[in-house]
Amino acid sequence: MTQAALTPTMAALLLFGAFFALLVARVPVAFALGLACLPSLLFEQRLSPMVLFNETFKAYNSFILLSVPFFLLTANLMGTGGITDRLVKLSRTMVGSMPGALAQINVVLSVFFAGISGSSTADAASQSKIFIDAQTKEGYDLSFSIAITAVSAVLAVIIPPSILMVVWGGVISTSIGALYLAGIIPGLLIAGAQMVTVHIYAVRRKYPVYPRATAREFFTSVLESVPALMTPFIIVGGILAGWFTPTESAAIAVIYASLLSIFVYREMDRARLATALSETGKLSAIALFCVGTASAFGWLLAYYQIPQALLSNVTSWGLGITGVGLFIAFCFLVVGCFLDAIPAIIIVGTTLEPLAHSVNMHPIQFAIIGIVALAFGLVTPPYGLCLMIACAVAKVRLRYALKDTLIMLIPMLVVLLALIIWPEIALFLPKLISPELVK
Amino acid sequence: MKTLIDFYHKLLSWLLVATVAILIVPVSMQIVSRFTGLIPSYIWTEELSRFMFIWMVMLGAMIAVRERTHFDVDVWPELSVRGAARLRIFSNLFVLLFALVFVYWGFQFVRFGWRQESELAELPMPFIFFAWPVAGLTWALFLGEAFLADFGILSSRPAP
Repeated sequence: MTQAALTPTMAALLLFGAFFALLVARVPVAFALGLACLPSLLFEQRLSPMVLFNETFKAYNSFILLSVPFFLLTANLMGTGGITDRLVKLSRTMVGSMPGALAQINVVLSVFFAGISGSSTADAASQSKIFIDAQTKEGYDLSFSIAITAVSAVLAVIIPPSILMVVWGGVISTSIGALYLAGIIPGLLIAGAQMVTVHIYAVRRKYPVYPRATAREFFTSVLESVPALMTPFIIVGGILAGWFTPTESAAIAVIYASLLSIFVYREMDRARLATALSETGKLSAIALFCVGTASAFGWLLAYYQIPQALLSNVTSWGLGITGVGLFIAFCFLVVGCFLDAIPAIIIVGTTLEPLAHSVNMHPIQFAIIGIVALAFGLVTPPYGLCLMIACAVAKVRLRYALKDTLIMLIPMLVVLLALIIWPEIALFLPKLISPELVK
Repeated sequence: MKTLIDFYHKLLSWLLVATVAILIVPVSMQIVSRFTGLIPSYIWTEELSRFMFIWMVMLGAMIAVRERTHFDVDVWPELSVRGAARLRIFSNLFVLLFALVFVYWGFQFVRFGWRQESELAELPMPFIFFAWPVAGLTWALFLGEAFLADFGILSSRPAP
């Protein structure tokens, strides 16, 4: 049908070649994606740069992506409104007596945080401020502190709610409620893997321990945190019950978090609110602007039928379902190194979907493999947002914390492998709680 | 000149805060109207929130060029001050090219939507499309400032 001047191979070379060349020249990723589209748009007779405008407009004119600023705002309100402080206290009473106490608290807090916020970058930003300085003061190595903060932050997109799941569900039409349920067990497994890693580090390097909390302290802090810990149940429950759409659930989370910070914990004032709003606007706009140019880039890939060309190759290998799962994870891991997760879903997720379908992989397992693999991409160089944020807070360059980060990824890779081999890990909860979503 | 740009920067930041704050209103109205008869179910709430959202994204993308917070990939070894300035000028040239694309075709984009109104709330579409050329112009302004600063670094004597 298309009378494109370029063959898929030539077009792919041009698009990706230009993109990577621009990245090396330190052109911001969002602009590099848009600029890489320009040669094709100008020289293909049937295209014009208007494609860039139509595609960016269509990308931003989406009710689904609206959840991104809401999730970020929830996270920012938690930090400024005193919710995070309560959760830190609770985590401390739970794991404070283990070796490497503060680092374990770091992981456990990420789990709680993940249940309220759906944004890993927000988690990394707020926890870096809390933990990196505090940990180095207690004698933890700086690179270890950066690494554990960044790595534990990725839980936010695996444990519901999750920005990535909302986007995935919208782009590849999968039930978001089912994805939320499917993320719980993998998220807890990854958190467990991280706690084991911290334990080994802490024992070998003799990291400090806090005195054991009394049962009384534990129950008081549970009581204080209950309102905050209700959030994931409200969100996931409300979606499953059909009370609100995923985007609306993100708005509910915002309202709930602001009510808590204003009326229950009473730590919100106007200046803090303005900061939270402004940080939310800036961070979500940067991430979302990139989604627009990535959509134009993805549109061109589809125009040149590059995905089909790639996939016809892979299909001829005759992989089984595990092989395809490994291939999908590999693709997302590699792409995650260079692209933010949302654009990666738009470009790569849609490309791989027919492949997953061809071996009868369950759409939910496909989504969880993709999302977990992309979550790794949040801490892998050269473009690992969470690691970049943590390093920026610590004022060191990215490569400084690289070794410890990669070590921590190994146990998590084992979990990813398990998710590929045993689909039931992801499918168990959705099947148990809402079987109608998982037919 | 610098104070003028600072003022413009501040103005954009406040508009950004306003869009984020307003964004939450139509979405909550949508939920409330579904469950109570208190307010009629407004069909344009979704549209309004999407339009605020577009402006939020574009405003944030404008500001981020001046604050240099658009994410980039760091593959270079530690550079000298002058080396970093040179690289910045080089990469900003590409961003400027993209800004000019947004200005030139952006105005066509606005003209294309000149007589269109949105489907539900009947908002004039140029109001939305306008965000693109404005972004292009704003980037060009901020980049011009950055070029001047970097050329300043290059022309000054190297630090001992």
